[in-house]
Amino acid sequence: MLAYLLLRWSGVGVFVLLWEMAPRLGWIDPYFVPAFSDVVREIVHLLLDDYLGIHIVVSVWRAVVGLSIACLVGVPLGLALGRLYPRLGDALGPLLRVLSQVNPFSLLPVFVLFFGIGEVAKLSVVGWVSLWPVLFYTMTATRNVDPVQEKSAASMGISLPELLLKVILPAALPTIFVGIRIGATITFYILVASEMLGASAGLGFLVHNAAMNYQIPRIYAGATFIVIFGYLLNRFLIRLEGALFAWREDTALPSAASALAPVSGWRPGRGTAWTGAAALVAIVVFGGIEVRNVNREAASVAPGAHSRHFGTPVDGGGN
Amino acid sequence: MKTDRSLLLQVLAALVFLALWEILPRAGIVDPLFIPPFSGVAGALRDLYASGELATHTRISLIRAGVGLLAAVLVGLPLGLLLGGWFPRLQTATEPLMELFAQANPVILAHIIIFFLGIGEVAKTFIIAWLCIWPVVFSTITGIRTVDASLLKAARSLGLGRWSLFTSVVLPGAAPSIFTGLRLSAGYAFIMLVASEMMGGSNGIGWLIVQSQESYHVTRIFAGATVITLLAVLADLLLKLIERLLVVWEVEENQDYLKLKKQVPEER
Repeated sequence: MLAYLLLRWSGVGVFVLLWEMAPRLGWIDPYFVPAFSDVVREIVHLLLDDYLGIHIVVSVWRAVVGLSIACLVGVPLGLALGRLYPRLGDALGPLLRVLSQVNPFSLLPVFVLFFGIGEVAKLSVVGWVSLWPVLFYTMTATRNVDPVQEKSAASMGISLPELLLKVILPAALPTIFVGIRIGATITFYILVASEMLGASAGLGFLVHNAAMNYQIPRIYAGATFIVIFGYLLNRFLIRLEGALFAWREDTALPSAASALAPVSGWRPGRGTAWTGAAALVAIVVFGGIEVRNVNREAASVAPGAHSRHFGTPVDGGGN
Repeated sequence: MKTDRSLLLQVLAALVFLALWEILPRAGIVDPLFIPPFSGVAGALRDLYASGELATHTRISLIRAGVGLLAAVLVGLPLGLLLGGWFPRLQTATEPLMELFAQANPVILAHIIIFFLGIGEVAKTFIIAWLCIWPVVFSTITGIRTVDASLLKAARSLGLGRWSLFTSVVLPGAAPSIFTGLRLSAGYAFIMLVASEMMGGSNGIGWLIVQSQESYHVTRIFAGATVITLLAVLADLLLKLIERLLVVWEVEENQDYLKLKKQVPEER
């Protein structure tokens, strides 16, 4: 096991080693590519200086709220189109597919025109991007419920709402979760990119701001942090999926996923579920308060003045 | 399996959508300043076409996306084949690194890329190519890994050499998965195309959209968005068509969205 882990992470190790050595030995200009240890030091500095935490909170809040909106719209709509009115779903299918191809970045200007430059525009982009995987996976999942389960429930005289809630939704849940997970991954990607195009806080803004001020180690620090954060988020969601839906007999996921992340003995019980729900609510509430403060502060900071959260405003002077 | 009736319904749904797009702004139910009616957008498209701008920007954007995809095929496919087919240990060693690379959003790295490549065409193409490579690499590896073992054994026992085993069993077996990755790449290419053109430059559809936003040409924003959407849909259809011509042995499933996302490990 240890040998396998060593082999597995050796590629990353070599890369980090090269990154450390190349600037130190002068193979690359250290001004443009700071050594890995300097970047790590910058990340720690950002964390301790309280900037990074706020940017993380802002980005995570946007992602969570946008994704929740997508789920609130996508799951019921998918249930309706996939299950209740399958003919309507059939008729709308191609149209929805074309709409799902609409580029989130070309929508950004439209949303900005609609809602102003504030949070709603960003949440709309996030919601739009994550809506489609959730919707399509829900439609497919509710359509492909095992007919035996459905028929036996029907033969016991189940009512339609109960059939939906107690048979179809649980049976479809694993696949719906895949949709939500894909939505979350894409969302984080797009969110960070759209924060670079116009925002006053968030992880994408951190990198963009650093670039505008020629704080080169900070660009690398922000980018590295985003990459690691996204990777861990992805891993966590895969783990969660494995733990939540371990009861599934036919694993729809190919074996590669389970081979890489062997399903642990851990199963979320009721306590974990409540903790998770509480954490989500806490993120939404406290994140929302923090986002409001950040936006208010960003609006009140005069150009060139120093702000607690952002170090230096985009058009300000040196640090 | 598609009946004429459901096709008719689908066309009808699209027509209803266009009709609503036309009627709602005209009736004043949504503000026509923000959502111009369909005919207005069509008019803007016609003007852009007449002035030749549409052709220029579309050509430039298409070239960028095309070169990015080409790079994905020329780099990603061989890389995936080598790692998946010949060097399983190397693949184990490099997989986490590649996953981190795939996670590295090129827009975030844009400023770093600019240090090395400038803000010209090379940087934009690199951003798109970087994004397109990884889905192809991962789907190629998965495709090779999941080739039916009994087929491999049968071919071996019939005395196939390494090379012909590769060309006539492994590659055809992996082809559906490879095409899935390619279609995913094409989708990403168009999304990031707009983002990279928004970050700087003086041409392309993405630039057209940003520039229209700055001058409050709302109909032009919608026109640009429509063109990009159509290009993305067409590219997807084209890849599907190529797949159907090349991969004749794979039964086409109706739920290709699910299939598409399920097979690509990068999305795990």
